Amino acid sequence: MNAQTPADMAAARAARQAQAERREGSWDVVVIGAGHAGCEAAHACARMGLRTALLTVRIEDTAKMSCNPAIGGIAKGHMVREIDALGGVMGRITDLAGIQFKMLNRGRGPAVWSPRAQCDKAQYSAQMLALLDAVPGLEFVAGIANHVRLERGRVAGVELADGRVLGARAVVITPGTFLNGLIHIGPRKLEGGRIGEHAARALSECLAELGLERGRLKTGTPPRLHRDSIDWSALVPAPGDAVPVPFSHWTAVLELEQVLCWATHTNEATHRVIREAMHLSPLYSGEIAGVGPRYCPSLEDKVVKFPERVSHHIFLEPEGRDVDEVYVNGVSTSMPQEVQVAFIHTIRGLERARFIRPGYAVEYDFVLPHQLAPTLEVQKVPGLYLAGQICGTSGYEEAAAQGFIAGVNAALAVQGRAPFVLRRDQAYIGVLIDDLVTKEHREPYRMFTSAAEHRLLLRADNADERLCEIGHELGLVTGDEIAQVRAKLAALDSEAARLARVSVSVPGVGGETRSVRAHDWLARPESTYARLADLGVDLALPPSWRETLEVRLKYRGYIERQQRTASQAAAIDGVMLPPALWDEALNGLSSEAREKLVRWRPATLGQASRITGVSPSDVAVLMVHARRAGKIG
Amino acid sequence: MPRSLEDTIAAIATAPGPAGLAVVRVSGAQALGAADVVFRASGRAGRAEAVTLTAADSHTLHHGWAVDAHGARLDEVVAAIFRAPRSYTREDVVEFSCHGGGQSARRVLAALLAAGARLAGPGEFTLRAFVLGRLDLAQAEAVADLIHAETAAAADLALAQLAGELSRRIAALAERVTDALATVEAHVDFAEDVGGVEVPQSVREELREVSAALGALIASGAYARAVRGGVPAAIVGRPNAGKSSLFNALLGEARAIVAPVAGTTRDRVSEAIEIAGVRVMLSDTAGLREIGDAGHAVEGAAGAWAGDAIEAVGMQRAVAALQGAALVLWVVDASSPLAAEDRAVAARVAALPRARVVVALNKADLPARVAAEDVMALVPGARAQAVSALSGAGVEALRGAIAHALGGGDAGDAPALAGAVADPRHAEALARARDAVQRASAAAAQALPGEIVALELREALAAIGEVTGTHIGEDLLDRIFNRFCIGK
Repeated sequence: MNAQTPADMAAARAARQAQAERREGSWDVVVIGAGHAGCEAAHACARMGLRTALLTVRIEDTAKMSCNPAIGGIAKGHMVREIDALGGVMGRITDLAGIQFKMLNRGRGPAVWSPRAQCDKAQYSAQMLALLDAVPGLEFVAGIANHVRLERGRVAGVELADGRVLGARAVVITPGTFLNGLIHIGPRKLEGGRIGEHAARALSECLAELGLERGRLKTGTPPRLHRDSIDWSALVPAPGDAVPVPFSHWTAVLELEQVLCWATHTNEATHRVIREAMHLSPLYSGEIAGVGPRYCPSLEDKVVKFPERVSHHIFLEPEGRDVDEVYVNGVSTSMPQEVQVAFIHTIRGLERARFIRPGYAVEYDFVLPHQLAPTLEVQKVPGLYLAGQICGTSGYEEAAAQGFIAGVNAALAVQGRAPFVLRRDQAYIGVLIDDLVTKEHREPYRMFTSAAEHRLLLRADNADERLCEIGHELGLVTGDEIAQVRAKLAALDSEAARLARVSVSVPGVGGETRSVRAHDWLARPESTYARLADLGVDLALPPSWRETLEVRLKYRGYIERQQRTASQAAAIDGVMLPPALWDEALNGLSSEAREKLVRWRPATLGQASRITGVSPSDVAVLMVHARRAGKIG
Repeated sequence: MPRSLEDTIAAIATAPGPAGLAVVRVSGAQALGAADVVFRASGRAGRAEAVTLTAADSHTLHHGWAVDAHGARLDEVVAAIFRAPRSYTREDVVEFSCHGGGQSARRVLAALLAAGARLAGPGEFTLRAFVLGRLDLAQAEAVADLIHAETAAAADLALAQLAGELSRRIAALAERVTDALATVEAHVDFAEDVGGVEVPQSVREELREVSAALGALIASGAYARAVRGGVPAAIVGRPNAGKSSLFNALLGEARAIVAPVAGTTRDRVSEAIEIAGVRVMLSDTAGLREIGDAGHAVEGAAGAWAGDAIEAVGMQRAVAALQGAALVLWVVDASSPLAAEDRAVAARVAALPRARVVVALNKADLPARVAAEDVMALVPGARAQAVSALSGAGVEALRGAIAHALGGGDAGDAPALAGAVADPRHAEALARARDAVQRASAAAAQALPGEIVALELREALAAIGEVTGTHIGEDLLDRIFNRFCIGK
């Protein structure tokens, strides 16, 4: 390719945007919104052979990281690995855009080893755009969605604000915080999903007209500072791993120079500024009605709720390799800008920091997710799928996971194929969706490992073992990729078998030499696969596969226990509940259970059992009704 | 969590309350196996081979004994065999007909649960009958109503049982386990926010205390369960110590003498007496001694047996009675010095892991030649009481000592009963909870990862939840966020 000047590139981008703004026509699937959910949805649909339109306002903002410049973390990193194993894109893009990689909790239990990467935000968007551009059947359309068009009770297309109509057999809505978004900076209010952008008001009205029950949530973001206004010498460096581990199963090696992040902390002066200005916070003056996430609290929340804490951690994270913007992780706030400036200046290293953008809170509409099937299809509106913050979640990874599930199911439905639902013992993604459609949600849902009752089975190191075959069946994991995974799993099995035969000599209790099976020795807490070499055993596995074998052996008893409970749960989850059931009298159920079940309309007996208020005997009664309905129908 | 259809399930199938018979039903793939663990067919002259139910034909009846894990007899029963699919549930089913009144049936049920069966939920037999196709479609609605009705009844019953002090004690323990779990989970999911320790020392101490408290709660229930289920007790002692006289003296003094239990007189004399409100099944065993002395002669069917065989059988059954006894009354002739035979008996008694021991220093009407301390040194932890079976002196005090040993305390200790775990099903669930808490403690002590400790604590809470009917869930996150400052 010939070298392009920045002016050439800008012109090309403008031309492309203009072309997308004129595009009309008919598609199999239209995906509204090109954030982390929308990109996965559109990619999956197109890769599964459907003509797919990805509708967004500004194409350059595709996969924009609206808040923190990082992907992964505990339980979230697990989900990225799962998306990747199923054939999604988030992991690949993170590997291309990452500038600092860290495996969290390396010294702790295997269930919580979690990959995380700081990313170059501009690179993340550019790489995603490049990847999606290369997918046949996927086209970008620029515009604002106003209305979902129905014909005979089914989705038929999307009407845009400028009057264009996109025909579609299925529609996936992924509007993020744009759905009736309202930004708060102190007493100032601005309409918009992100600062300086629009708010999707008509679309939210449309959802209300479709009969969907909506609620309101809130999230927030911290200020961004100019890199050259920070006194870096006063801060503590936080480096990445010496040997970075990639997110994607298909990334062989990560070759990059990693950047540093930096740590500092708030102090009593910071908290004093916050306390004195508390009456100006829209959170505490009652201006904000939406409920915010407790695990991602604003600094004002932290100061109010934990008055005994005299200091809170802050991490300064560059938003790119060579960019000016620095993200101040830990001080999400909706205080007026002058208060933000005052408290930032009390912090060591930030005494003379200059603002690029203030922090702010944003309120937005969401659809109460009990109205969704586990395919993320709206129960009342066939062909309409929702994913991401509109379903009441928070986080790029949660959004991407839902986008993937919604996209795949939209594609399967258009193709007339059976729906795709992951069980709770198969993936965090299964836990996420199951929690969404069976629980009551009062705050944005974020994934934690404690949400997964089969946590030891759902590890970051075995996502390929759990999910790649499924991704291959869906047509999203290629033949080459699945061959690679099968070879790895075969190697692990044969190595485990070999270590069960081989003996090693190790010192006994009294200093004498004892002979033990290599796999028994490796099951000891202090043993590692690499140390087998010292005991005269050839090492057959490459380093990146070793920890899976170690975990299998060291935690075998616990893993088997969880497998037993998982298979019991799976039996109940296999019993489908026909939707017609909810129109019947359902004798024998307690009145609370009947009320809840008719509201939720769970798809399986297992989901029914997880709805609060449904007792084990209600489940037994429901089984009777399900069998009866199944036989009649 | 809904119950698995693959387990073998057991329950008392007859209504509670006074009745001539009670039926305990067990159904499932392991029904015959579990029944065989519990069942000993009655022997007949010339037929030494024991009948096993696994080998029995469908639709046959078998007379015999239900026994506990130690081989001690629980009740005389008739076992009815129904092989799949010709049974109520279409699975293999065994129904034990026991003596009525609840206690026998509960003990037989407990033995079946110990043998691997799971307690059936309300309507679960009927549910299986339906799922396995025995009931037709028209009956489905009726089945649903039945399950609901049985559940409502069971819930009322559980509420009544759990009302007041007991439910508060269990709820308080569940609360402590949930708190411990919340702390462990906070360290698993939010190590960066709450500190990098896997399981904090404070939690490890708390788990030790909770485990002890669960143990105490289960133990406190022993008296309550004794009130409900009766206590198997054995009188032991060397020949001529005065066992029979004392046995008769205790019976003679008893205010509420229950009719002799049929069939128990063949090899040991057994009577039920009431002491401090507890039904004590008192067995006068054959003399515990070496072969050669028939001791207390076996009555009834003895004629068909040769002498040595009688002695051997009598001895075996005496040992079985002793093993199965929750209370042992050791009778010592205090008018003559301790003999080797006394020490042999004491050794057997002291070796019993579970039984409480009361020593009767008999023949107090004669000059004492045995010091109480010497006797107590042989059986640590026992209570001793001087008594004269002949004159009746000290018999009332002996009853008091027995009552104390049963956990009833002196003169009617009612409060202990109010907060105690009377239902064996509850005791069993709490024991599983305690075991899980102990495993959690052990895992923490070995510095295993927090998720392993959490796994055990979740199991403990699930077991407690079987008693209280509560579940953990969102509550856990509330606790974490209320206690720790989470989030950068």
